[in-house]
Amino acid sequence: MARAQRCCAPTRHSLTSLLVVSLLSVRLWRILVATDFEPRIIGFLCRWCSYPGADLAGTSRIIYPPSLRTIRVPCSGRIDPLFVLKAFQDGADGVMVLGCHPGDCHYVEGNYHARRRYALMHRLLEYAGIEGERLLVEWVSAAEGGRFAEMVGGFTDQVRELGPWGGRRIERAYSS
Amino acid sequence: MNERIRAKARELLESGQVSCFIGYQEGTRGKVRPAFVYEPQDVERLIWDERCTYNLAVYLHQFNTPPKRGEQPPRVGVLVKPCDSRSLNLLLHEEQIQRERIYIVGLTCQGVKVNGKLQERCQRCSERVPLIYDLLVGEEPKTVGQENYADVATLEGMPPGERLAFWAREFDRCIRCYACRQACPACYCVECVAEQLDPPWMGIAIDLPQKQFFHLMRAYHLAGRCSGCNACEEACPMNIPLSLLNRKIAKEVEALFGYRTGQDAETPPPLATFKKEEELPL
Amino acid sequence: MMKVTTKDSLAAWLDELTRSYTLIAPKAVGKQILYKPVEASSQIIFDFAKADLPAKEYFLPATQLILAIERGQDSIELREPSLQEERVIFALRPCDARALRVLDALFLEEEPIDPYYAQRRERSTLIGLACSEMGEECFCTSLGLAPDDASDVDLMLMEVEEGYGVEVVTEKGKAILRHLILEEVEGSPPKPILRQGKVPILETEAWPHCFEGVYWARLADRCLSCRLCTYVCPTCRCFDVRDYETANGDIERLRAWDSCLAEAYRRIAGGYNPRPTKVERLRNRFYCKFCYYPKDFGPIACVGCGRCIAKCPVNVDIVEVLDSVAVL
Repeated sequence: MARAQRCCAPTRHSLTSLLVVSLLSVRLWRILVATDFEPRIIGFLCRWCSYPGADLAGTSRIIYPPSLRTIRVPCSGRIDPLFVLKAFQDGADGVMVLGCHPGDCHYVEGNYHARRRYALMHRLLEYAGIEGERLLVEWVSAAEGGRFAEMVGGFTDQVRELGPWGGRRIERAYSS
Repeated sequence: MNERIRAKARELLESGQVSCFIGYQEGTRGKVRPAFVYEPQDVERLIWDERCTYNLAVYLHQFNTPPKRGEQPPRVGVLVKPCDSRSLNLLLHEEQIQRERIYIVGLTCQGVKVNGKLQERCQRCSERVPLIYDLLVGEEPKTVGQENYADVATLEGMPPGERLAFWAREFDRCIRCYACRQACPACYCVECVAEQLDPPWMGIAIDLPQKQFFHLMRAYHLAGRCSGCNACEEACPMNIPLSLLNRKIAKEVEALFGYRTGQDAETPPPLATFKKEEELPL
Repeated sequence: MMKVTTKDSLAAWLDELTRSYTLIAPKAVGKQILYKPVEASSQIIFDFAKADLPAKEYFLPATQLILAIERGQDSIELREPSLQEERVIFALRPCDARALRVLDALFLEEEPIDPYYAQRRERSTLIGLACSEMGEECFCTSLGLAPDDASDVDLMLMEVEEGYGVEVVTEKGKAILRHLILEEVEGSPPKPILRQGKVPILETEAWPHCFEGVYWARLADRCLSCRLCTYVCPTCRCFDVRDYETANGDIERLRAWDSCLAEAYRRIAGGYNPRPTKVERLRNRFYCKFCYYPKDFGPIACVGCGRCIAKCPVNVDIVEVLDSVAVL
């Protein structure tokens, strides 16, 4: 309901949030940065459709680039657009937001909300200087292992071409 | 108009219909400041002219708590311009204020000035009459503007690298004082994401990544909720063009969902609802 | 008699200084004037009234790394960052310079001494620029200051017909004067144009009598708790210190500006907050400046620069408050 949406405290203090936020900073740096640029991609996958889809790609031995680090969330509706912002801040060059196909959400409505949020977030990011091509929002079902792998491969190439995101200051300039 | 406002305020206070009337009064050094009138004889303080830029809806949050436990929250009267009335509609919809607790005196408005200059947002304002009121004060508006988002379009037209540099330059000046957030009627979270320590979304550092996060986050949280009153940009001590961010979101919200904030108190903001069948470019 | 230098000589000397010092001077940033490091005198704005922010950030940075705990292979190293450069701050107004003395009373004259602040004070040479007239919101004279007061800088400049008058105040100031071409001329620098009337400053001991009373509640009605007054103020100094883990496992201890006007500022473990509403917090701001700080450390924590007056979005005017408190 409208009010619940605006009531920030319960979702923000949840364990999932804490986990996601700390995972983001840790995972991004564990990716080896070789001399050629290997993009750091963070993927938020929903537990019911897109994550099993990724699993299927794995069990079917379909190879896709290792630069993707996945974070499993219960539903694409759980993916707070702030996670995307934080991912870019903490070192991601590209972010994937994957959910169930509209109509197939395990929680019925989650991906409808996600659809609206990301349509808007995409445009805000673009406006703020984060190229729209760095955010991929897609619907992947549990049976679409091959499609998932293709998607990751294509997106990684796209981000590799764009280069590292220049808006981040990893080297903090703290003194005055 | 001053007389009508004062007369109404006096009547409301004398009859006990409200315990406080929120309007504008003269301040020091030729400035105008928000006025809080508790006694009928003080209504002479109230004025209304084109220096009255503040969105008084922001003060309604502080009247939500009863003065003593067991008592009812106070009833207040408030003066609103058309843009402020849209904030009111938002707050009514989000159940942050109750309609019976406020008496709304709506003002028709031809624009307000800052330092003698007519504000840009007033030049393109298409509403000169408040959208919600109990009493309407003022004449029929003579001119009506048209929103065209020209300044947003200029920024959109820049190449991404330049846009990134533009925002980096602007956000660099930010001192994370939160004046923008405090002046905004739609920012009423008891604990803001920016100040949450657990999880540490932003931390305490006043550094560019955090400032960027804060402004983009705040703009996003205002999607479909920002009435364009510009209180944030006016409050900012460092002249950061916040309206360029908020209006971009308003533009997209209008384009994607056909929604303008605060037209009434019933329609939910677009991110609080959804349509099963809709095509949205992702 | 006074020593003067021309505008060109001054500019050339400042350029020379940039070779061996970090020169911090008023610079145009967007529509504002801020103290920033400059690479050449051409970047400096010489003709300005008052910078939008004081130079406080160069002594108490908005965000400061005070300790880094670095994890090596088999070891843990604690690294305390140290200021590597020598700085010259140019065109500091007497009020901003006095503010540093006010901060010294806390950071340098009380144990424990703040080493980060101390180092920055030591490694900075202050070149003051006297005001030719008091600004709209200025009231430094009511606090025992003057627009041409040279007691808190190392070198003082004054605008004169020939260019700038130069007064050497300390040995530190003398030491950097080496390449500046000075000429002795007749006369003395013009007196600054003062504003009429003095703002009554209630004595420290009298403030407790005004603590209760509905005046503060009425004042705080319009306050937004936006905190910008504390951030633009040259004497406000509250900060928060927290440890953060960086992405590669190190720990950084950061010190950042905080404000007593924030709701959470005085909240203590257990949830109790002695200043729960903005009434208590706004009142505390004035009491801290004119009662608590002078009682504990000596100087009044206000230099009359008027930035809070200029920037407050709802016209909470410290001069008006002082006028009102004097008759409470």
